Amino acid sequence: MHTDSLASSAEHDQVHLARPPARTTAGTVACVVVMGLLALAGVVWSPAALANLQEALGLVLFAVATNLLLGYGGLVSFAQAAFYGIGAYGIAIGWLHWKLPFWLGGLAGIAAAAVAAVIVGVISLRTRRLYFALLTLAFTQLFFVIADNQTAITNGATGIFGAMVPTWLAEPQGGYYFTLVVVVVVTLGCYAVVRSPFGLTLKAIRDNRERAEALGVNVYRHQLAAFVISSVGCAIAGFLFAIYSQSASPDLLSWTNSGEPIFMAVLGGMHTFLGPVAGAIVYFYAQSYLTQHITDWQLVLGLLLLVIVLFKPSGLAGIGADAGRAVRRLRARTGGRA
Amino acid sequence: MHSLVLDIAGTLSAAANLFVVAAGLTLVFGAMRIINMAHGSFYMYGAFAVTTVLGVGAGWRFWLALLAGAVVAAVAGLTVEVTVIRRLYDAEHLTQLLATYAVLLIFADIGQRIWGAGYRTVNPPAVLASGVSIAGVQVPRYQLFVIGVGAAVGLALWLMLARTRFGWLLRAAVQDPESVATGGTDLARLRTGVFVIGAFLAGLGGALIAPMQSIAPGMDVSIIVSVFIVVTIGGLGSVAGAALGALLIGLAQTLGAEFFASWAASLIYLTMIVVLAIRPWGLLGVPER
Repeated sequence: MHTDSLASSAEHDQVHLARPPARTTAGTVACVVVMGLLALAGVVWSPAALANLQEALGLVLFAVATNLLLGYGGLVSFAQAAFYGIGAYGIAIGWLHWKLPFWLGGLAGIAAAAVAAVIVGVISLRTRRLYFALLTLAFTQLFFVIADNQTAITNGATGIFGAMVPTWLAEPQGGYYFTLVVVVVVTLGCYAVVRSPFGLTLKAIRDNRERAEALGVNVYRHQLAAFVISSVGCAIAGFLFAIYSQSASPDLLSWTNSGEPIFMAVLGGMHTFLGPVAGAIVYFYAQSYLTQHITDWQLVLGLLLLVIVLFKPSGLAGIGADAGRAVRRLRARTGGRA
Repeated sequence: MHSLVLDIAGTLSAAANLFVVAAGLTLVFGAMRIINMAHGSFYMYGAFAVTTVLGVGAGWRFWLALLAGAVVAAVAGLTVEVTVIRRLYDAEHLTQLLATYAVLLIFADIGQRIWGAGYRTVNPPAVLASGVSIAGVQVPRYQLFVIGVGAAVGLALWLMLARTRFGWLLRAAVQDPESVATGGTDLARLRTGVFVIGAFLAGLGGALIAPMQSIAPGMDVSIIVSVFIVVTIGGLGSVAGAALGALLIGLAQTLGAEFFASWAASLIYLTMIVVLAIRPWGLLGVPER
């Protein structure tokens, strides 16, 4: 039909525009359906299941925010756990020392993470590739050691525990809906960043730094902005973790904790926006299932990671795309639809 | 005076031990542009292998244990090179980090299956257990032994790289792998060889540290951070840089413990941050494209 050809020519024209073609109607529908189901889950699921889902949603945000840097910026940062931890400590320290309401402590923590991200980014982004990864690792360790040693502020290795959030938020349903709203809003914000001219410039830098530089792009400033945005996202995820667990401890800032969102993003597919979302969910539920049933969880995790990295670098998103292509080929062969 | 002599011996022995491990990592990076997180596993296996060979007793078996630690790590290294590292030569650094991190996770669980989750300790051999009087101060012999091994490893690596055909081919392979392969050298075997030497050094470092600290799961992850710091400060791929970085970190640890107790652990990270802020490619490294 000629409407089809019209649509495809419109698509062709859009290729040269600043924004990628909007071919995501099916994806949008799926997202809306999932969102509806998530809203429904708050009413029908058991409190225990909701608590799990609440924790998983926090990790989704952690993975999405990290992937802003990893998948779109091509930057491997081991510092993201530090910002996650600072976000969590905001509530905990504000509550412990000044009995601040959770949102004020949370905002302070997120602001502190943003300031820390500027400092870490300004220094680390002067280095390249592996040096960048390893320097961000040193920064994480520095923050970890501070959280671990400055007992007067952080309670040291024991961490901070207590009723730091109001009762309505500590209950599974209230906590779940609050987390869901924050995660959806911030994730949509990240999506807007990725689709904006800024996000496309970031990808251009990732793909060819020299060419972007030659085109007059200030690479350093773009990467710094991405670093701060990603870190603020991670801090918000940490803030949600503190609400969920009513605690903060130095472990949150360990560099291996920075590895987790990277792994989730790679598992799901780091070159797609929704890949890390799927990766975080699968990782979380697989971990909680496997740690209950087997002792060698790290072994399974390691083998899985190895197989993905070596044989399927596009992750779950890649597997999904392959499956979609196979279905379309099958349809074409049976002559169902052109 | 008393504490000064002890501090110098402590700094140098810590630096020597770090250098032995770091030299292996930086050698591999220099020769093949591979960054290997599982280097920490080789180190841990080296240390645990010593505890296995020694059991409770000491004596002459210590030397055997030292060698066994290094050999166990070398065998683990050979396995990893053949199964995983070979596929990573032209990969992005993210892929290398993730794949070798995966190997580290796998080795950690296998290690726990073999040696358990508890910690172990061993004693230095009787010959090295006592102290030596230096300027009227009793310095542990074992520390001097570790310093000696560090110096010997440095010398051996220098001789290997500068004076042997293997070292010559290695340096050539970094510059222009294709020409070396065209010249009739089996590049894959050359690379396997370097990787096994790197793992051997990690194992030797782990074996050396065994009598000085308790051996426990998790030491793989903690050493890899220290060693990454040493090699980045020195410049990735530079063996002399690794020596310099190890000395700096050893010094930072000692000074930190002596003067700023509550900030001691921060000092090594601050050292790395300051060095890379001034020289983004490390002290003796070369800027990458």
